[in-house]
Amino acid sequence: MAPPLSETRLTRRALLQALGAAGLCSLAAPDPGILTLALAQGNPGRLEPEESVDATMKRLFGTQPIKDGSSVIKLDLPLIAENGAVVPVSVEMTAPQTPQSHVKAIYIISDKNRRPLTAKFTLSPPLGYPYVATNLRLGESTDVRAVAQMSDGSLLMAKREVKVTVGGCGG
Amino acid sequence: MAEIGRVRIRIPSSIKQGDIVKVRVLVIHPMEIVQRKDGKPVDKNYHFINRVVVTYLDHDIAQFETSQSISENPFFAFAFKAVEPGVLKVTFLDTHGGKYEGTAEIKFS
Repeated sequence: MAPPLSETRLTRRALLQALGAAGLCSLAAPDPGILTLALAQGNPGRLEPEESVDATMKRLFGTQPIKDGSSVIKLDLPLIAENGAVVPVSVEMTAPQTPQSHVKAIYIISDKNRRPLTAKFTLSPPLGYPYVATNLRLGESTDVRAVAQMSDGSLLMAKREVKVTVGGCGG
Repeated sequence: MAEIGRVRIRIPSSIKQGDIVKVRVLVIHPMEIVQRKDGKPVDKNYHFINRVVVTYLDHDIAQFETSQSISENPFFAFAFKAVEPGVLKVTFLDTHGGKYEGTAEIKFS
């Protein structure tokens, strides 16, 4: 009776493996919603997908650990923004840019916006000093995060809360 | 909106060789907001700046990818190291194929 039993086992294992593989594939496939939107627009500047901030962090950085960088990243924002349509933000880092160790990119992410990623700043060593500033639109009171991607691949994050009196996204 | 694409660059009035220079750039642009109908975003080609390229001495030194969560008439600031006299150029690209440029001459005093 031994041969038939092992045969059953093998079949079941094969079946489970096949199912597992199928599951992985469906996870790895891109979200069809995003894809169709990008194609319909037919331009390189598609909109960021509407998603929660956790989904954005996962999409951008995967499972990479993000260290607390509040000691090296100076994230400057108003405490209270009266007009959510124009909220000045600046990100500055204490370490200078050198070819050995520099900031490759700074992401500015606002947690409660429908599309949390607001801007990605790609920097290079000739800049000498990592500093960027811009004006954001914020829909409501929210945390704003600045994530710096260093040249060695590590990620640092600083976070600040902004109170917004009048939202700036207009629906 | 005849003014779309006018770029203003501000640099400090006196720069010394090797200085870290903070530059402020402003461009006139509507940065169109996503419109909604019945709670769903309207699918159309929105008009906003999605790329900013900074060139100094003919090298790209920084590139910003922006979205419509940046305010109307966007303002950007950045720092760079002035190593040689030359032209600093900031190019803005929008989703309707627009290309707006602003230049500043870097001279040492």
